[in-house]
Amino acid sequence: MDIFTILFWVVAIILFVISLIKDKKKTFEGMKKSKKMMGNMASEIIAIIFLIGLILTFIPPETIKKVLGSSNVLLTTILAALAGSITLIPAFVAFPLAGSLVKAGANIVPVVAFITTLTMVGIVTFPLEKKEFGTKFTLVRNLLSFGFAIVIALVMGVFL
Amino acid sequence: MKKILEFIKKNKLLTLVLIAYIVVLIISPEKALSAVKGSTYYLKEMLIIMPVVFLLTVVIEALVPKKLIIQGLGEKSGITGNLLSLVFGSISAGPVYAAFPICISLLRKGASIKNIVIILGAWAVIKVPMLANEAKFLGVKFMAIRWVLTVISIFAMGYLMAIIIKKKDLPLEKEEDTDTILAINEDYCIGCGLCAEILPKVFEMKDSKAVVKAIPYGEEAEKQIAETVEKCPANAIGFTKAEE
Repeated sequence: MDIFTILFWVVAIILFVISLIKDKKKTFEGMKKSKKMMGNMASEIIAIIFLIGLILTFIPPETIKKVLGSSNVLLTTILAALAGSITLIPAFVAFPLAGSLVKAGANIVPVVAFITTLTMVGIVTFPLEKKEFGTKFTLVRNLLSFGFAIVIALVMGVFL
Repeated sequence: MKKILEFIKKNKLLTLVLIAYIVVLIISPEKALSAVKGSTYYLKEMLIIMPVVFLLTVVIEALVPKKLIIQGLGEKSGITGNLLSLVFGSISAGPVYAAFPICISLLRKGASIKNIVIILGAWAVIKVPMLANEAKFLGVKFMAIRWVLTVISIFAMGYLMAIIIKKKDLPLEKEEDTDTILAINEDYCIGCGLCAEILPKVFEMKDSKAVVKAIPYGEEAEKQIAETVEKCPANAIGFTKAEE
């Protein structure tokens, strides 16, 4: 657990205890509500987690590395952004991968597009987001994120 | 058989993933095993963070007054609300789906769409441990420029989303369907005042129409409300009990 996760736990527990002391009844009602809300999400979250494992097996980081390193920048950028949208690679894998590519002389634009859509756009989490926020919200948010990720990548290319 | 169908209907995505795994298992057991192994990291991540999310949604529900959320994150919270959202999203931990229940709780309590989009964006993209990792492998300058551009993008998205999406586009009411709902149809109410007379704690008269004052919880209260609903001469009171 990193320090932020620990802090998150500590803050949550303290607030929860305060809530219990202040209003037991309301807290229990809140627990009932949250249980229902998260129970509704549970099956989807588990599905998503195992879907990520499956995707990672068929699109391993090595494949992505190959795509990111190719020479056609425009096509590569779009492919990289798509790859980042579909996959969910942990940061401690993605950044070393991106770092080694940049060091090897790959164009920076597709690399940035990839690491930005990786976290910004969630195709895998789409069903869950849709369930909670509705189709329109989810679609617009992810499309905008995709667009902005490309813009960020292009601007980074100008700066660096 | 009926039970299986019901399970599939309720867990469409899970069923699909399950089928995919079975197919992969038949074609290449090795790949299926490696996929399960790959999933364990995310499984751990979820187990570590979801209890916190549960506690926080309870706290938002029970402890934080609606007024505070409206002031801090509501439509009129302005740039302070936006910055607050950015900081909150950034210092949080866990995958983005952990933010969904928290954001829904905040939305119900009056947070604006703009701020919710900012929280979601920051939660997904800006994480301090992640920034440190990025600086380590790609350089501080790279990380800093990308951070600035990302923050600008997140704000821009918040503003754009607030224009495109209205609260009525969100399935929030649907969620509340399963809660206790008590509402009076103004068009039907004839203003007789009977409900306010029987249950003055729950109903009151405003401009010669009955309105709901408060929804009490508990079996006894529910029984009383149900009886009053029956007595309304215009059948103007809608009442749905919470599903257990």
